[in-house]
Amino acid sequence: MFGESDYSFCYDSEEVSIRIDPLDGFFQYFRKSGDEEIRKVISGKSRKIVVNPVEPVNLPREVTRFLEVHFTPVAIEPDSSEIVYITFPVEIGVFLESKDDFDVLDIFTLSRPKYSLYGPPEEGVITRYHESTVSGTLPDVDRLKEGVIALSLSNASRNWVEVSRAVFDCSSLFLYYGHCVSLVARMNILSRDIADIRSEDRPLRDGMKPSILVIKARKTLIPDKIPFMMEFGVGD
Amino acid sequence: MVGLDTVVFGEVTVLDLIVFAISVVIIVIVARIIAMYLKRALSDRMERVEIDKLVKIVQAVIILFGIWFALPSFDVDIGQLLVVGGTVGLIIAFASQKIVSNLGSGIFLLIERPVKIGDTIRIGDVEGTVNQIRILSTIVKTYEGIYVRIPNEQVFSSDITNFVVNPARRFEYTVSIGYGADAGKAVWVIRTLLDEHPFVLNNPAPSIFVSELGDSGVEITVYIWAPSRVWWAVRTELLQKIKEALEREGIEIPFPQRVITMAGEKKRGTGQGEL
Repeated sequence: MFGESDYSFCYDSEEVSIRIDPLDGFFQYFRKSGDEEIRKVISGKSRKIVVNPVEPVNLPREVTRFLEVHFTPVAIEPDSSEIVYITFPVEIGVFLESKDDFDVLDIFTLSRPKYSLYGPPEEGVITRYHESTVSGTLPDVDRLKEGVIALSLSNASRNWVEVSRAVFDCSSLFLYYGHCVSLVARMNILSRDIADIRSEDRPLRDGMKPSILVIKARKTLIPDKIPFMMEFGVGD
Repeated sequence: MVGLDTVVFGEVTVLDLIVFAISVVIIVIVARIIAMYLKRALSDRMERVEIDKLVKIVQAVIILFGIWFALPSFDVDIGQLLVVGGTVGLIIAFASQKIVSNLGSGIFLLIERPVKIGDTIRIGDVEGTVNQIRILSTIVKTYEGIYVRIPNEQVFSSDITNFVVNPARRFEYTVSIGYGADAGKAVWVIRTLLDEHPFVLNNPAPSIFVSELGDSGVEITVYIWAPSRVWWAVRTELLQKIKEALEREGIEIPFPQRVITMAGEKKRGTGQGEL
């Protein structure tokens, strides 16, 4: 499903059906997934679309830019690093392409969105919530529903730290797709309560393509790529 | 007789003042034209709110620079101007205390920022969404779509309730079920429904418990946390879904009712009313 295509694009599976049909001199985009059906008329000459995974914070409507992954606790010894693989939910973006510019045509997901709050109600942040298992090797996932995060955990504190959640700022996320959807990130643990976390602009494997993200296609002002500071704890 | 070469203060003549005024008018017009072009150029590149902020900053910078460049036409000593300006300022301040008060309040509001554009708020008796925060007044669009201009002095001295300043907000329902229904099952049905809703926050988790044994039924209280930006939509959606889910599971939501035992029936029941 993922990649660049012309208007002959068609995808049909049990869960989702997408096609573009000619309609009175224009084209009609059609998507059906679950009970939801979308129809949009497209004009223009470029006749190119791009379908790729996008940051999972857009559905059912955008209320946050943070993604929180909750996983089986991992104990990290002081002054050490460990790479773990966790999963994250995938939303799929359909973009119209013209002159190296992209506009969002449609966003959908095959996973069930759930939101949460990281931190206290008066100063925390709303997060798109996802529960994951932890693996030392690349897990096998359905790339239309889940992606894989290669998370490097570095414990810079003087104590053992149990890590069971990671919060990512999706405005500075780098997603790649190929045989799977991937995100490479680094969490620097300063204490049980504080860690900084940043996404790295590189694929998990060679040959993967970078995703066009919704926040960039919408030309929203993107804050400087400073790491997100998890200051309300890294564990339960 | 006042002529163009009449001296107003220092070496500044009426002509200098007119030149300065015309310069300021031209600067304002230029700033507006640039703002218009900026809006057009950026309309498909940035969010509207961000464009508005940027345009206001650009306009302010152009006007300030314009005034700065126009000032030499006075050929005045800045110190002298400050003295005169201060005196004039004092006179204006005394003459228009309300305006100055609103201006001061506006500046403090900008510093303290108890409300932002787009926030859902209540200021005094006015409830709605903040449309604009100006230097003298704050514009609120009420839920009925009515434009309300509140002087900043009033905003500053009123109780301000900002419904969206915290990221999450709690609301509650009380649901009554019949005494014959299984309260545990009702709690499970509601919990399952809430778990499936994307905007019922996973943390803080919803709280569902039997809160009262009422006259007509068993009362179940439901506390739900939702993102502040969507809490009203979630609140209006969920109560109906809870009712439908309970009905699907055969759990009765009772009408107000009272069991009345007639004296004659009681006697018959005990075998004493028989003739």
